[in-house]
Amino acid sequence: MGLLDGKVAMVTAAGGNIAGATARLFAAEGARVACLDIAGEDVAKTAADIEEVGGKAIAIPCDVSDEDAVKDAIAETVSTFGTITTLFNAAAFSEARHRLADMPVEMWRAVIDVNLTGMFIVCKYTIPEMQKAGGGSIINVSSIYGKVAARERPAYCSSKGGVRMMTKSIAVDYAEDNIRCNAILPGPIEGPRMLARNPSIAAVVERHGTRLHMKRLGRSSEIAQTALFLASDESSFTSGADMAVDAGYTAF
Amino acid sequence: MNRLAGNRLGGKIAFVTAAGGAIAGATARLFAAEGAAVACVDISAETVKQTAADITAAGGQALPLVCDVTDEDAVRDAVAQTVAEFGGLTTVFNAAAYRDPQAAALDIDVATWRKTLDVNVTGMFIVIQQALPHMQKAGGGSIVNISSIYGARVAKKRPAYSASKAAVRLLTQSIAIDYAEDNIRCNAILPGPIETPRLLVTNKSMDAVVDRHRPHLPAGRLGQPEEIARTALFLASDASSFTSGADHFVDGGYNAI
Repeated sequence: MGLLDGKVAMVTAAGGNIAGATARLFAAEGARVACLDIAGEDVAKTAADIEEVGGKAIAIPCDVSDEDAVKDAIAETVSTFGTITTLFNAAAFSEARHRLADMPVEMWRAVIDVNLTGMFIVCKYTIPEMQKAGGGSIINVSSIYGKVAARERPAYCSSKGGVRMMTKSIAVDYAEDNIRCNAILPGPIEGPRMLARNPSIAAVVERHGTRLHMKRLGRSSEIAQTALFLASDESSFTSGADMAVDAGYTAF
Repeated sequence: MNRLAGNRLGGKIAFVTAAGGAIAGATARLFAAEGAAVACVDISAETVKQTAADITAAGGQALPLVCDVTDEDAVRDAVAQTVAEFGGLTTVFNAAAYRDPQAAALDIDVATWRKTLDVNVTGMFIVIQQALPHMQKAGGGSIVNISSIYGARVAKKRPAYSASKAAVRLLTQSIAIDYAEDNIRCNAILPGPIETPRLLVTNKSMDAVVDRHRPHLPAGRLGQPEEIARTALFLASDASSFTSGADHFVDGGYNAI
């Protein structure tokens, strides 16, 4: 028996490191999982991995900032699995380093459009399905940079701060529908995307210096485990909350 | 049976204060059901024996210990007995707290202020100080401290309680930072209003409590002690291995509005 038996989860960015680990864990705990990603090949791989170990998954290529595409993805999920009870919202990207005055407005809009408006669109069309299901749990991935600033990333930080407040707004407005909504604020998590920007993982640890109190980066599995707690009925009185998973990064 | 009765704390040895009470009692029982050996600590002998007896009757391992957490020697003895009985200490759940009578600052006497801070903050400090060396010996551990939503948002006419619970949050973060290299994690839980018998001492009914807290209870209900216990289980278990120095609101959205 799993902690998510009977649940149907939609996971965005499921072709990526963190949401991929989360989709796999949700499936291992009994959920049927709709895996969404803008990258069709990556998300097909996540769904195939889940099916291979006996889980239930479908892969849906989808740009979360495209309202019609999101509606279609939700319709496909409901027609395949009957409902949606659980949502893990992770689709996001960060701009190249710019201070605010040097940032083109188009770059700002692109980040806000995916990280905040995309999440809004996914929530907007998922909540009615959760209402029909009698309740649900929404988990939005914010960031430690929704709470403290990263240098030269004004759009990313603003979008992640917005995610925290949108999360609380949903928690308050839909509590009576038995829908919970919480944010996860990951610290630096080890993943392939990190190596696109940094020479090595050790260099990332070095750069974060004294704020990485465990002297290591987090793992995607550690975000997935937190998401599992929030997705499951174990967290039934937890809503509108920020869950930092950062080994004390924002405490210091 | 689902995984709720599992082995998520297999091999852990927990020290649970206020274990005779509703929240810590539920936590002690859940920790034991998940495989931990549990030292049940409370100032009240009768209630803590009951919690330990419940655990033993369900096939778990428990040791009742009568102890005032503000008494350094008593805490040292309680920790020593735990280690002697179970062979170590890996997990602390700190819930012992004093709820001062409602009074604004002008109306609270200094003795009441001191007592509240002594139990809620200094008592927690003493327990942590005595437990840490054993956690270092064990190669790591997890400390879960009970703060309160009133450590983030004030309650009316509870200056001492609010100040004490805010102090718990920063004590928690301080421990998290200073002992991270020893693989010791430390987190705070901030419960919203939880349905416990204690609430009925100052309120005529649970419905009256819900009414009093609107609109801060968007789900229209109080929390249950088991809901705090399950959050404590997450934080005590290895599922939360990168979570430290964090506040965990378990408040049904109280702090979101």
